[in-house]
Amino acid sequence: MFFCLVCGAVLQAVWPTWLWLGQASAPFLLGLVLYYALSHGDGFMLLAAVLAGLLQDALGLIPLGYSSFCFCLTALIVSRFREMVFSGDWPAHILFGAVAAAGVSLVLSLLLSHDGRLLIGPGWTILKAFGAGLLGAIVIPFEFRVLEALDRMLGNLHERGR
Amino acid sequence: MREKGILVWIALGVVLLAVLNLPEAVSLQVKAALRDGVAPLQGALASSVRNTKEIFRLIRGFGGLAVENEQLAAEVVRLRNEVRDLKALDRENGALRDQLKFYKKTSLQMIPCEVIARDITGWWQTIRLGKGSTDGILPNMAVISSDGLVGKTVAVSSRTADVLLISDPTCRVSAQIIRTGAFGIVSGSGPTERGQVTCRMEFINKTVSIQPGDEVITSGLGGVFPKGLLVGYADKVVMDESGLYQRADVIPRADLGLLEYVFAVVEQGDAQDLYLRKKQLVKEVKP
Repeated sequence: MFFCLVCGAVLQAVWPTWLWLGQASAPFLLGLVLYYALSHGDGFMLLAAVLAGLLQDALGLIPLGYSSFCFCLTALIVSRFREMVFSGDWPAHILFGAVAAAGVSLVLSLLLSHDGRLLIGPGWTILKAFGAGLLGAIVIPFEFRVLEALDRMLGNLHERGR
Repeated sequence: MREKGILVWIALGVVLLAVLNLPEAVSLQVKAALRDGVAPLQGALASSVRNTKEIFRLIRGFGGLAVENEQLAAEVVRLRNEVRDLKALDRENGALRDQLKFYKKTSLQMIPCEVIARDITGWWQTIRLGKGSTDGILPNMAVISSDGLVGKTVAVSSRTADVLLISDPTCRVSAQIIRTGAFGIVSGSGPTERGQVTCRMEFINKTVSIQPGDEVITSGLGGVFPKGLLVGYADKVVMDESGLYQRADVIPRADLGLLEYVFAVVEQGDAQDLYLRKKQLVKEVKP
């Protein structure tokens, strides 16, 4: 998990952003959190959420803990749908990726604007949330497949009888 | 089982509360440690991406090498002449300053840095440099590229430094228009719909005439940016709604979207001409 988190953070940092997507970054770390929320137990899920959040905050200018809070919230909501989504169908992963990424982007922007650390207009915030949602819909399902394959290769999924 | 679940919730709550309420100094240390841990991987990835780009550029550019070589040779001749003229001017300037008992201008030292990443969240206009406090970089240091001002360092760890670009609305630079000498504050206004990065210069005296293309440089006021660094060029000029001052769009000279190498500017604050200072002190004491 630690290896995946570091790789996710590095990928997120070097991945290009596009203006027409509000310069939203590809949500690799959120994808990891969602994967652990849907495929592992609560302890693993929350550990992943806290660590991914810490990494995201450390590698940006966000105060420590904001992203962890958002990731934990998302993980807890998503884990409610664990049985429904882990069937492995793409549409569900796409939908979850898009909604979660857009949601996290909006909540983070609210927290940062409330703090006065962010000086961007509502239009830009909405565009960014849309961009994050679109990137989440594209990136997260692929990330699920890669992580699933990695887990299977390491025997983690087999051990749990999947 | 239920008790275990409750324990997990309590532990999560405690951890989150602790992280959110960490003292500023501890929080900065934690962030710096995490950044330093990831920095080598980021640097390696950034280097390999850059090398791949270079290879493709090289393959594409084989045909134009002769033309480019010719252009560069002409450029070298032009620059040599310019340097010769500037040296003469510098000598003359030094002599005049000496006669007027002015302090010599502080010299600037540059630390070359490689850009290893951009803001991971996309909320701010920042870049990360592959050098940090061990290389002499400190917070609030001006950062420039070969074209002009890029931004200032905001968070520095031992191996990395985050630079807030001048295109970010939270970055403010005290600036001056060269032609008129008018002062103002330049801040980022974010990218436009056309994808062009722009800044805005505010609080310009309303009686001053500004023309599109006027050069904007740092004024040296404010203590972060040394005087005379090129920021960009004035574009559209409008009167502020209050009618008290003018506002001008500024197109940054440095291409902020394609930064690969930049320089952190070390201002030698104590590099005033000691000789002149001593001479002045002697004169003050004599009477």
